[in-house]
Amino acid sequence: MIEVKNLVRTFNSGDRTIKPVNDVSFELEQGTLASIVGKSGSGKSTLLSLLGALDKPTSGDVAVNGVSLASMPDAKLTQYRRRDIGFVFQQFNLIPNLSAVDNVMLPMEFAGMRKAARLQRAKELLEQVQLVPEKHDRRINRLSGGEQQRVAIARALANEPKLILADEPTGNLDEQTGDHIIELLSALCRDHNTTILVVTHDRALANKTDRRFRLQQGRLTEEPVRNRATAAAAPV
Amino acid sequence: MSVLARSVGNAFRNKVRTAAVVAVLAVAIGLALAMLVANQAVGAKVQELNASVGTVLTVNPAGGQGFEGGGEPLTSEQAATATAVPNVSAVVGISSLRLRNAAEAAAQAAGGQTGPGGGQGVSGGQAAATLTTSLTAAVDAGTLGNRNQAANGTTGTTATQPVRSLPITATGIGAEVDTTGKALAITEGNGLGDYNAESTNALLGTTLAEKNGLAVGSTFTINDQTYTVAGLFDAGTTFGNNAVYVTLPTAQTLAGLPGELSSMIVTVDSLEHVEAAKAALQEALGTDKADVTQGQNLETAVSSLDSVKNISYIAFIAALGTAGLIILLIMVMLVRERRREIGVLKAIGAPNRTIGLQFVLEALVLAALGSAAGAVIAAFASSGIASALISTNTTTTAAATTGRGMPGGTGFPGGGPGGPFGGASQLLTSVTASASPDVIVAGIAAVFGVATIGALVPALLTARIRPIEVLRGE
Repeated sequence: MIEVKNLVRTFNSGDRTIKPVNDVSFELEQGTLASIVGKSGSGKSTLLSLLGALDKPTSGDVAVNGVSLASMPDAKLTQYRRRDIGFVFQQFNLIPNLSAVDNVMLPMEFAGMRKAARLQRAKELLEQVQLVPEKHDRRINRLSGGEQQRVAIARALANEPKLILADEPTGNLDEQTGDHIIELLSALCRDHNTTILVVTHDRALANKTDRRFRLQQGRLTEEPVRNRATAAAAPV
Repeated sequence: MSVLARSVGNAFRNKVRTAAVVAVLAVAIGLALAMLVANQAVGAKVQELNASVGTVLTVNPAGGQGFEGGGEPLTSEQAATATAVPNVSAVVGISSLRLRNAAEAAAQAAGGQTGPGGGQGVSGGQAAATLTTSLTAAVDAGTLGNRNQAANGTTGTTATQPVRSLPITATGIGAEVDTTGKALAITEGNGLGDYNAESTNALLGTTLAEKNGLAVGSTFTINDQTYTVAGLFDAGTTFGNNAVYVTLPTAQTLAGLPGELSSMIVTVDSLEHVEAAKAALQEALGTDKADVTQGQNLETAVSSLDSVKNISYIAFIAALGTAGLIILLIMVMLVRERRREIGVLKAIGAPNRTIGLQFVLEALVLAALGSAAGAVIAAFASSGIASALISTNTTTTAAATTGRGMPGGTGFPGGGPGGPFGGASQLLTSVTASASPDVIVAGIAAVFGVATIGALVPALLTARIRPIEVLRGE
């Protein structure tokens, strides 16, 4: 379970103080598929970075299964990111001189998994995200944007994290592959009790989530989710 | 993919830049290795010189003027006096002779020419006895030798002179050492055996033996007495190998001067006692009877070599530091360039030590490539660099010492290298800067040590990069 309490993140810009995250509080049960929508610059990515322990809040706290991130030392936060979090970044953030399979193997290497086991799992994950086997050993910079996105999703799933934070996970995918990714994320929630929080502009994806939040001027509000059968046609 | 494999891959990420960095590193590391090789070679030479002749004093008759002779000869009694001086561990008497080819001497006598000729410096304290031999000198007189012979041996004529050979140096010794006190390098056969007047054994220089077609066991004559070649020695120079060694009593008998010595080689028990022993020896023998010298040429040469050693050591440290600085700067640049990538690695759970290790290993890969290329550069350049260092540092020394005989007149310079010590230049040119595996391994180990230190700073910088860097630009 994730509990977010009075989370605030401020930045100083000259004489001004910007609050991209302003007193945000919510709770997510384990196994929930949730989405955050909002305009560009509304603070969605900042919120994700706070939830993923990439950044530290100005005030407030995030607690995962009752353990506060605010009180964790850096080494523990690194361990938390390695074991409990899977990131899918908007710009993929893959290592360009490594192959697709090597990129997926990285989090498993940091977690201490044996080479043979991580190679096998990396290939399985790449097949799950529908990257054809002949591209598994291809360097990242020789893959298309959609293919890179799929590798990024496979990497996020590598250590079977409890929480996946995804920034526009279907943004660079065609409709068919996007649907497949949505199905994959839904299956993860259902079968592995994984909590998934996605930032998206994709109406179809937002309306297929269990809970939907809107971030506006740093403040988070929850919106009702329509019936999933008709959600795809509704505006976000 | 392991950290090491990733580091190797990263080292070749930008091939052009890697090639440029390796080239610069190779020059710095090559220079460092070349300096280390030069340092080791010069150090070994200094050690060798100090060990062989650093504790040796030479005693010559006072008043000897090299070419002109002069002074009173040393005696066996004086040798006994020298032996009794504190800290003196050995005294070797030397009797110098000159041998002329019997047939040539007869022809010159028939032609009315006189004098020893040969352009050689004679013993200072006593004119070296000139004897005839069946041997032919292995060194041609050359222009200088013939000019000097004409000047010394012929008067009142401008007639064309017959070609002459240089005399052969014959030395009577009390132990198997050369005139510098250095052990003879016998390449074939044995030593002289018993040191008595009846001994007919002789040691021949390799070139002299070759010139006369002699081998161990062959015979030759001096003043019509037959001598057997007991062994061959290599003095290291053509002039030095145009020589014969016999026992001291034999030489004294041949010269008809029993009990007289041309010079003495006195060995002191340690380097620390040399100065005191020199003073005591001079006092015991009397300043009007003997000159005690330590071989100034050698001291100057060793001093020059020490300077070269110090310069090469400083240059080694400087080149090594440069290599470390190059690695430091390139790695700092790479860390700055890959901030976002480091952020990504941290975001997906890479510990600081893993990222730091990755950068250290990448630096070591660059250092390894630079070392390989640098070792090749050092292999080709070390000899030239050592020679350049030595010649630059010793030009004055060499100019001042080359061609001089020993003080007191035991030298046999002639057209050759100029006396027993042969001048600093001869000593210096015999320094061989060979890149031994041990030195190269030690140098490369030092390079890796410096590379590791140089890479640690940027590796520690990676620890300060926060994972939020991953979101920069998003």
